[in-house]
Amino acid sequence: MPHASATTSSHLLKKDHLKGFLRKLAKEYRLVAPVRNRHNDVLFTVIDDLDAAEIELGEPPQNSLKQFFLPQQERLYSYTNTPDGYDFRPTQTTIPPTVYFGVHPCDLSAVLYMDVVFSRRQRDPFYLRRRQGSVLIGVNCNSPAPNCFCNATGSGPFLEMGSDLQLTDLGDRFLVEIGRAPGHALIEHWQGFFSPSGDKDSAARYQAFLEARGRFSRQVHVEQAIRQLEAGTVPEQVWEELSLRCQDCGGCAYLCPTCTCFTISDQQLDATSGQRLRSWDACTFGGFTAMTGGHNPVQAKTSAIRQRFLHKLRDDVRQNGRPSCVGCGRCVSVCFGGTDIVRFVERACQGSL
Amino acid sequence: MPQPSTDIYLPRQAKVEQIEVENSQISTFVLAFCDRSDNDAFRYQPGQFMLVSMPHCGEAPISISSPPTRPGNIHLSVRQAGKLTTAMHGLRVGDTIGLRGPYGRPFPMEQLEGKDLLFVAGGIGLAPLRAVVNTCLDQRDRFGALTVLYGSRTPSDIAFQSDLGLWRKQGMDCRLTVDAAEPGWDGAVGLVTSLLAGLKPELSRSIALICGPPLMFRAVLGKLAAMGFSDEQVLTTMERHMKCGVGICRHCHMDGKLACVDGPVFSLAELRRLKIMELDG
Repeated sequence: MPHASATTSSHLLKKDHLKGFLRKLAKEYRLVAPVRNRHNDVLFTVIDDLDAAEIELGEPPQNSLKQFFLPQQERLYSYTNTPDGYDFRPTQTTIPPTVYFGVHPCDLSAVLYMDVVFSRRQRDPFYLRRRQGSVLIGVNCNSPAPNCFCNATGSGPFLEMGSDLQLTDLGDRFLVEIGRAPGHALIEHWQGFFSPSGDKDSAARYQAFLEARGRFSRQVHVEQAIRQLEAGTVPEQVWEELSLRCQDCGGCAYLCPTCTCFTISDQQLDATSGQRLRSWDACTFGGFTAMTGGHNPVQAKTSAIRQRFLHKLRDDVRQNGRPSCVGCGRCVSVCFGGTDIVRFVERACQGSL
Repeated sequence: MPQPSTDIYLPRQAKVEQIEVENSQISTFVLAFCDRSDNDAFRYQPGQFMLVSMPHCGEAPISISSPPTRPGNIHLSVRQAGKLTTAMHGLRVGDTIGLRGPYGRPFPMEQLEGKDLLFVAGGIGLAPLRAVVNTCLDQRDRFGALTVLYGSRTPSDIAFQSDLGLWRKQGMDCRLTVDAAEPGWDGAVGLVTSLLAGLKPELSRSIALICGPPLMFRAVLGKLAAMGFSDEQVLTTMERHMKCGVGICRHCHMDGKLACVDGPVFSLAELRRLKIMELDG
């Protein structure tokens, strides 16, 4: 009854079968997963040799999936400027269909947010070209890291929807839930790897969820900060203090899975040609809003970090009904000025809890 | 407004057909898309802007200074200020530039119908308002009295002189002032706000349209409020650093709004709800 098992909503994948399943996937897709490298860092990596790759699902990767859909720098066009004219040629890049495996709920939520950013007002062809044909296989998070607070941003530790397949680690096996149609197709195509799940597996998933929920070491009052921002009751002093301490390094924005602000610039190659580049940018940089002639509507000393938190915790809540901080904690780990989003939430809420 | 091209960042080639020197720093570039069908299909409203590409200079937002009632050309009046605009001032007739757009929320022309319009501008700020003035003049019976108050640094800095001459010929009340007089100048000297003192607008049917540097903007707002203008009766167009022009890159953020898609045209009532440098100082 193979068909019957393929239409139920959840399945089991024994851990012994994981590599076999991934090997099959890798034949038809480019495979990206969190891999522990020889420096002991876990990074989302394009896997060329599955046997040599140490896939790590228990530890959040240092990078997110952002770079795969919005590269740190990409060429939009090459241009020539000759007596015949000033001509732009689009960059033709072929993006292989890719399976992103082992995506934690925070990073998955971030991709869903980026989908909105790059298609709500206008369809961004460069983002969508990379995003189309991608398959997202999520893994629920059993072991939040010390700086994690996705429980406070509504983006983890477990997700009910958003991925194509959603895995939960149940010890010797994964519970596999079907999210969207591409996930259904994968199960159907390689049904030999999967077996039906039962009530005790669902119960084990729930137990794992309860345990994960209890493992957060931080309590971050994101909802309270959102209310304060909407009410405009965050004291000016908080903005000024944190702005002064911001070291303008951009680390938070670069590591953030939902920071999608970019700049566009030209790079001259020779007298008659060049390329137009799109690169990551950060609203905390002093030059982000500076206009020709030095006029800048944002006062760096008092407001450098204002836009960052207003955008994530107020403007995106207004726009999408939820904050665009996914609680991954990366900015907390990287910020040496002590102006990360958790510090902001703490300072904003001081005295109001 | 639907985009003719599916690649939202791809500039289209446009040719410089004519260059009108407005003053030592400002020129008006008369442009047409090289592809005739692009030119025929081009539609916009006063207050919208284009993103201009110059070789090796990236892009900059420039508001359209010609009225949609005169199709066939796009006028961009540009002050020489940075790398890209300096390169533009090196353009000659026949040269090619890159253009994409039009972008942004325009002036609400329907709401302006039947109203007396008071234009207050400083320097290059007259460029976007020029598109509105000429639209009104081309449909003269749809609008009430038209008044232009224009401030310049010195008499030789007064730009758009040929427009001002034509506007006066058509019965418009155009008043000029300069910050510093030069020999031969017998006109007003002082801030553009001083020109407001001599006006007696019919408040019930007046709208003020302002564009100029932040200091002038704040001074004019104060004076208009004292004259009895409500925040809903004051419109302006905001200048911000921009990259994408379509509401994605966020360089033009204004306390939750984006100048490129929520503006650049705003009513003062809308701006009062935002914490922005132009109002807060």
